[in-house]
Amino acid sequence: MTFEPKIVGFLCNWCSYTGADLAGTSRIQYAPNVRVIRVMCSARVDPTFVIRALEEGADGVLICGCHPGDCHYSEGNYKLMRRYPLLKKLLEEYGIENDRVRLEWVSASEGQRFADIVNDMTERVRELGPSTIRPALQADAAGR
Amino acid sequence: MDEPKIGFYICNCGTNIAKMVDCDAVAEAASQLPGVTVAKAYKYMCSNPGQEMIIQDAKEQGLDRVVVAACSPRMHEPTFRKALATAGVNQYFLEMANIREQCSWVHDDREAATEKARALAFAAISRVSYHEPLERRSVDMCPATLVIGGGIAGLSAALDLADAGTQVFMVDRQDHLGGNIARVDLTAPYLDSARDMLTERITRVLEHPNIEVFLESEVESIEGYHGNFTAKVAGKAAGNGEAHEVAVGSVVVSTGYREFDASRITHYGYGKLPNVITSFEFEKMLRRGEIVTKEGKVPQYVAIVHCVGSRSKEYHPYCSRVCCMTALKYAHEVKSAIPNCYVSDVYIDMHAFGKGHEDFYRRSSEVKTLFLMFKKNEHPVVRKADPKDDCEMLIEVNEQLSGELIELPADLIVLMVGMEAQPDCREVAHLANISADKDGWFIESHPKLDPVATTTDGVYIAGACQAPKDIPDSVAQARAAAARILAHISRGKLEVDAVYAEVDEDLCSGCRVCNELCPYTAIEFDEEKHKSQVISALCKACGACVAACPSGAIKARHFTDQQIFAEIQGVLA
Repeated sequence: MTFEPKIVGFLCNWCSYTGADLAGTSRIQYAPNVRVIRVMCSARVDPTFVIRALEEGADGVLICGCHPGDCHYSEGNYKLMRRYPLLKKLLEEYGIENDRVRLEWVSASEGQRFADIVNDMTERVRELGPSTIRPALQADAAGR
Repeated sequence: MDEPKIGFYICNCGTNIAKMVDCDAVAEAASQLPGVTVAKAYKYMCSNPGQEMIIQDAKEQGLDRVVVAACSPRMHEPTFRKALATAGVNQYFLEMANIREQCSWVHDDREAATEKARALAFAAISRVSYHEPLERRSVDMCPATLVIGGGIAGLSAALDLADAGTQVFMVDRQDHLGGNIARVDLTAPYLDSARDMLTERITRVLEHPNIEVFLESEVESIEGYHGNFTAKVAGKAAGNGEAHEVAVGSVVVSTGYREFDASRITHYGYGKLPNVITSFEFEKMLRRGEIVTKEGKVPQYVAIVHCVGSRSKEYHPYCSRVCCMTALKYAHEVKSAIPNCYVSDVYIDMHAFGKGHEDFYRRSSEVKTLFLMFKKNEHPVVRKADPKDDCEMLIEVNEQLSGELIELPADLIVLMVGMEAQPDCREVAHLANISADKDGWFIESHPKLDPVATTTDGVYIAGACQAPKDIPDSVAQARAAAARILAHISRGKLEVDAVYAEVDEDLCSGCRVCNELCPYTAIEFDEEKHKSQVISALCKACGACVAACPSGAIKARHFTDQQIFAEIQGVLA
């Protein structure tokens, strides 16, 4: 049986969530592996959300926001853009593969783009295999 | 915290959800979760009986939390919030799981879709336990409106608003009002004069005591929020760089369209052959009252080519909607000016969808217009005729109905140029904080149920800036926008979402990181207490400060860390 990764998606309400809804109204088919959590702006995505998702057993985390220059809150996505490399660095330190956490820009009109990103990410995470973070944490907790 | 009593409802949406998601199985799984008192599947949750079910259960079983797994919350969240309010439950005790747009419509594996729907339902149930009762805020509604663009849509919205006694500021970058219709002679299908129609409207707007018109001006910025915007309007004419600041409660964006540049399609010869002209150049001729070639001759053959730039793989994929009827109108006008002229219509499909259009098409066929059908993406080719021919040009058409390659004589060729979004549509979208689609048309709040509003409260769109539109549709949308605005003005106050950020003063260390982050300068620093404070009326709830606060002292109401952590846990359970 092929491994079906669980991916948590944090989508901004105005562009990306609407883009994902558009994929729906346009009946664009894509992989069912991403489960979406809506936030008002990508700037709301606290790095701890990403870490928490990985701790809770996510095999990957996708963050989507408005394209640079198009943020509903004018510059929220720029704030995320600054925070994101720091988060990636931290994850790298912990040995979490680069492809497990991904940041993408999806506008309200880009239903197809959202579907393509989900498919691509699902494929890449599937290649990486299940995340070992949660089992490791559980083993750690049991050992204590 | 007492264990909440959660009602879980999953909507079949007819078969929209049920065909791909086993709703009963999801309801059964949800019923096992702690706190879930009621778990039901129903065919249409948004219907009256569906809502009634929630209200009834809330009253009888004392529900204090409700989860509806159905369509996107962007669609029916207000519906179910209202149902909760009716049941006497705080409306923020609702959470929706989007299992239609983001599940049943996008997956084709029933088992996988059901599993995903279950995960999304669990996430919502897990989150809703942490919801807090919130009260909506009430702000004053400024009774003035900014209308950007003075075409037929802008004029119509402005007049309705002004006639109702409210102030309108109208901005147009041109030195006159009327937009593209000011360039048109007659309108299809009733052959009324566009000028008569416009002149009356323009005169009324210019003379209206409640309308202030800024010509040769542009809106430079729009700040604030629904009910209380401040816009800067700047003159662009030489010697008139005057800037004005206007306070408005609503904004109507009615910036229209521009015509497709026909020289982009090289095989039509536009810009090379002098007697290949665009529909707008032909309108100019009609307004002058003489149909002649560049050489001043009366044409014997007039050919009208449809879908120039529209319905094409290379240029614009969409139909521009007005060109077919305009082309038929030209056939009428040519025939009445030059009765022995041969008129041919070179088209892909005849789109005669509107009121009176099919009749008009029939009448046009009766005035002996030759109709030649070509295939999409197989454009006819125009070339100069030989001196021995009795015409100026020849059009080669691979005619679909006869299946023959036909050479058509023409002295004058009218290209029905399609509509395209204004070249600066992205900048305008940014200015008004709305979105534009891939073609540059502004995106409405909902394509069917809310085609006038946008994702930014208080900003409305009207006319062809939203999509190609004819005059009646533009006017209808504009007047709908005016009605929406007047409804808000008549109440005097606006209810705004209870979602904004709050600082917990006990936790705030006074580091001021958040002060600089806020795009709305909604965070001020209390020097005396040495604490930051959010001005809730200015806060738009993006949450940038919440994620940045090193002390975790800022709370995003309705998007708290706790709520999102619960959602993460639920979605992975």
